[in-house]
Amino acid sequence: MVSVTINGQRLDVEAGSTVLQAAERLGIEIPTFCYLKRLPALASCRMCLVEIEGQRRLQPSCATAIIDGMVVRTNTPLIDETRSSMLDMLLANHPLDCPICDKGGECELQDMVMAYGPRESRFRDAKRVFHSKDIRLSPVIIMNVNRCIQCQRCVRMCEEVVGAVALGTVEKGMDTAVTGFEGSLASCDQCGNCVEVCPVGALMSFPYRYKARPWDLAETDTVCPHCGTGCQLTVGARKGEFMRVHSKWEHGVNRETLCVRGRFGLDFVESRDRIKRPMIRRNGALVPVSWDEAGNYLRERLSGVESKAMGGLASPRLPNEMLYQFQKLMRTVFRTNNIDCSSRWSTPFDALGPLVAGFYTRAPLEELIGNDCVLVVGGNVTDENPVTEYLLRDGARRRQTGLLMLSARPSRLDADARAVLRVRPGSEAASLAAVVAGLVAAAGQASLADVFADLGAATDGPAVTPEDGGAHRLAVALMEGKSVTVLVSADLLRSPEARATLQQLNNLLQLLRALGKGPAMQFLFDRANQLGAWDMGVLPAVLPGMRPVVDVAARTTLERAWGAEIPSEPGADFEVMLELCDSGQVGALYIVGSDPLMAYPDREFVKRALGAAELLIVQDSFLTDTAGLADVVLPAAGYGEESGTLTNNEGRAQNVRKFREPAFEARGNLVIFDFVATLRDQVLRPSTQGEIFDEIARLIPSHQGLSQDQLGPDGAFTMAGPPPPAGEFFGPPPTPTAADGLTLITGNCLFHNGYISERSEILNTVADDPYVEMSARDATQLGLSDGDEVVVRSAQGELTAKLKVNRHFPGGLVFVPENYKTLRLNSLMRRREYPCPVEVERAQATFEIATAAGPGL
Amino acid sequence: MFEPVLLRNVGVPDGHLLATYRAGGGYQALAKALHEHTPDEIIDLVKNSNLRGRGGAGFPTGMKWSFVPKKAAKPKYLCCNADEGEPGTFKDRIIMERDPHQLVEGMAISAYAIGAETAYVYIRGEYTLAIRRLERAIAEAEAEGYLGKRILGSDFSFVVHIHCGAGAYICGEETAMLDSLEGKRAQPRLKPPFPAVEGLYASPTVINNVETLACVPHIVMRGPNWFRGIGPDKSPGPKLYCVSGQVRKPGLYELPMGIPLRELVEDHAGGPPPGRKIKAVIPGGVSAPLIPALGLDVGMDFDSLAAAGSMLGSAGVIVIDDSTCIVKVATRIIEFFHHESCGKCTPCREGLNWVVKVLRRVETGQGAPGDLEQLKALCNGIFGNTFCALGDGAAMGLRAALAHFEDEFVAHIEEQRCPFNEKHAGRELLGSYG
Repeated sequence: MVSVTINGQRLDVEAGSTVLQAAERLGIEIPTFCYLKRLPALASCRMCLVEIEGQRRLQPSCATAIIDGMVVRTNTPLIDETRSSMLDMLLANHPLDCPICDKGGECELQDMVMAYGPRESRFRDAKRVFHSKDIRLSPVIIMNVNRCIQCQRCVRMCEEVVGAVALGTVEKGMDTAVTGFEGSLASCDQCGNCVEVCPVGALMSFPYRYKARPWDLAETDTVCPHCGTGCQLTVGARKGEFMRVHSKWEHGVNRETLCVRGRFGLDFVESRDRIKRPMIRRNGALVPVSWDEAGNYLRERLSGVESKAMGGLASPRLPNEMLYQFQKLMRTVFRTNNIDCSSRWSTPFDALGPLVAGFYTRAPLEELIGNDCVLVVGGNVTDENPVTEYLLRDGARRRQTGLLMLSARPSRLDADARAVLRVRPGSEAASLAAVVAGLVAAAGQASLADVFADLGAATDGPAVTPEDGGAHRLAVALMEGKSVTVLVSADLLRSPEARATLQQLNNLLQLLRALGKGPAMQFLFDRANQLGAWDMGVLPAVLPGMRPVVDVAARTTLERAWGAEIPSEPGADFEVMLELCDSGQVGALYIVGSDPLMAYPDREFVKRALGAAELLIVQDSFLTDTAGLADVVLPAAGYGEESGTLTNNEGRAQNVRKFREPAFEARGNLVIFDFVATLRDQVLRPSTQGEIFDEIARLIPSHQGLSQDQLGPDGAFTMAGPPPPAGEFFGPPPTPTAADGLTLITGNCLFHNGYISERSEILNTVADDPYVEMSARDATQLGLSDGDEVVVRSAQGELTAKLKVNRHFPGGLVFVPENYKTLRLNSLMRRREYPCPVEVERAQATFEIATAAGPGL
Repeated sequence: MFEPVLLRNVGVPDGHLLATYRAGGGYQALAKALHEHTPDEIIDLVKNSNLRGRGGAGFPTGMKWSFVPKKAAKPKYLCCNADEGEPGTFKDRIIMERDPHQLVEGMAISAYAIGAETAYVYIRGEYTLAIRRLERAIAEAEAEGYLGKRILGSDFSFVVHIHCGAGAYICGEETAMLDSLEGKRAQPRLKPPFPAVEGLYASPTVINNVETLACVPHIVMRGPNWFRGIGPDKSPGPKLYCVSGQVRKPGLYELPMGIPLRELVEDHAGGPPPGRKIKAVIPGGVSAPLIPALGLDVGMDFDSLAAAGSMLGSAGVIVIDDSTCIVKVATRIIEFFHHESCGKCTPCREGLNWVVKVLRRVETGQGAPGDLEQLKALCNGIFGNTFCALGDGAAMGLRAALAHFEDEFVAHIEEQRCPFNEKHAGRELLGSYG
């Protein structure tokens, strides 16, 4: 600790703290422009200059580390004069076009001039003008260099945090201008973090341009609905119409950052394909009816299928309260455990349960990245969880976190990693087993003989040798780490080998624990409330609190609390439900907020199965493909139309808030569950969101003691249960079958992660056309080059899209992003076959292809 | 008569060739350093010589070297600052063009002292002859074993690379130079960390000026006491003075540190052209505040000039006679700094732009009451508040012009014209810098 005196106030601070940090702690305001907490100090704006005793010159407080006994003054006439002088200079060439500047009213330069600036400027010469018309850098970013004050926050944000390096600086001196390469933003993520951190109106959001003044906006703090990172953001609406999103700077996992989906992808709330009124199938067609009519119809149809099986699927984007109520409805009113929360994969709870119970770390990601070694398994974190990726990059670059990557898909983060193990898709389990074996070898077996004896049987194969390259390097790096964090992409669950992968992860984590590396683990989900959906028990084998259905005590507790019986046998997951449908055993299938026809990895099968369900009920806010097959369609409130809580990947429960009324005749999801229960002459109590939250807090151990009022701007962390006794090591994974041809995998791309991003007009504008990605080697071998129209053909079907050659791709891998509306990717896939063997060739005639690709591209 | 040290080969035919250099005793200092001294002893020699950096700041060279960590995990680098961009300065150019081996030998000894195996010479791109000659000298030295692996049978290996600048004055600022060497936009870096600890490629780095390095072989051969015997003890040694402007014999002069400015200008350089009187002299490149004629008795060394409110800087001595308009001189100089500002910090970027606009108005007879106050206020806003010394230098120069020649500024504003005869005005003097 060192001591500092600022304006007469003494404070002890940690060595290395800057004057600015100390002043902030004392509540002494020092104005800044170029300073941004998460970036290294630049010290170029000179607003934060302070007097330090014994120093000849004023010093920039943002970059001056405190030396013990330092005496600082920030409130002298010289400082006042200097600040005023800096602002006077900044204003000299500033266009002062505040009345037509989108930033007016929330402009840091304006605010600063009001607080510290000269009352009048004596500048009377011609101003420098770069251009008279604003420059459209990208579909979402528009620039006015005349207003720029050269704080370089945008450029540094782009390079150091986002890692895109799309923005740069050209020329020097007064001609210095921020721009993209050759005036465009070639490598831009369109995340708009540059716009967010711009203190003035130099970089602006194009979609928000000239739409509102900040003081006209009704702002609501809420959580992003897109992925599981769970970023805090503020929605601005004007007269009920969605206007824009901005970050909250000081709060949430994301602070001032967001990704393109979060910042620009919330306009889906204005999407035109909302379901306006309830609909029922009459003479083969869906016809709009009143809620009463729909109720009568549904009552009748439900009683007709009473004897048959029931099933339910709810989206892991729905808030906790809705998911909780949904499983309660299914379990107590429809008396079934046939419930699931993913249309894309089955969740092998026998392997997942111990992993989550034993290792899931409900703590801030920032803390986890503070561990000196972070292993990211599977997926492509850059595209799936961009803001998580920013934090990981920050860890690698500024906190010396050793980043290790193990995945089939390359990602931008690989460049910052200490070691990368590129695995064949589907062989993740085998690769993890190799890492485990390598770690055993690296650890030496003396002190941990017992553990390893057990494990020896589990790995059941030759130890990994240094020749195994990647796995060995990863093992050595893990061994060198003092504390290890493992981040697991939920993408791994797509594989039919997901169970084995989860088991090997369990082995790895157990071993790391035995080696004293106190491993922390979190999943990287691509859905906003996947962890919440698991916590709420929207799984066939699991009750709320992730307690097995077969756990009598747990079941009894809930039965008592709910005053109803819960079926004692685990139910069917979505995959099995579809099989039951297909064989004519399902009476009613109730789908809430999910579009399996688009997402389930076998379009032909899911279509047939959904068609075979006697009664298909779809409750959604959008007219999805699945809704098109339904017998009854119930219009539900969408994102922003009802309040609740979401649990992000960190286990942080956060308020997602209502900022407008449900559109048209849509009703809140909870109201609809009530409505459906009533049709069965039952009531669900409690039935309001707040009361349900309280019930969750009472009945689910991980939520014990939480109260919604206390979910502050940073939310509150749910709690992990007591760790179960050390489990056994699982046996070796099946040997992956070697594929010689090309195999197709899918996943999220940066712009799309599901049916809400598909409905964002802005995301559809900024996203590239649907594409097929493969390695340069494969492309060359096939005589293909970047930009070619290619056909991807599987045993099931084919699609046409543009080829993107990615030089980081491993040979044999073909990637096509899911969630492109115009690309029915799942028509290529066959269930239980992932990755999917495919052939790729040049499309024959471009003209025909363009027609075949359909309208709307 | 002072016997030249640094320039002794300059007049010799083929002075730039190794054979000539060797014939005059060249590379004996390197041999002596490698065979008779440890690196630490060389640092001590240089420390004891009181050699101060000739690039402008005058920092003690031996002390700078001693800041380099003895044990570092990363390689150490020596950078030679040959980006001689200060208007009025042409001393390094002559060394590199006429006697490049002197620099090569100086670099080799310095690198040995600090434990560097690689040096980069960051050389001004316009110095085409100097670049060619230095390239040739490096090749010759490599061929003869003065550079390369195990030099002269010692364990010391050392290579020199040349990097050509692309015309930005700011690259002469040592940390901006490092960024430029790394392929980045040249802008000064935040200090600390200082280059000696974290410089080029975040490795320990020493940056020395050409003339500084050229002094090193002589110190090794003739000893620190000889060096200290030349000029003032705290700022000793032979010194290259670049005299330009309105004098009869402009040129490069090697004389002891500390000789009076008047002696340099009036005796050695022949004084002003016939019929003219000296009005002011800029003693150390345009960053140095001008000294009016009355102050010419000041000694040309770091401390004396600092005491007189100016600085030795790069010893680019620019003589201004009474036919020249000081407002024009000031405008040209500020235009230069404005053009060369890297744009990083607010006061330098915005402040100089404002100053230029006002000065141009005043100079062309469109000044207004209040302009001088505005200029002074801008100088206050710039001086001491800029990120590096560029903006400070500009503000100091303008302040000095305003302080000593306010009447000329006032006359421009009151008469709404330049009172000097255009024919004799600034262009002739400083045309190439505008």
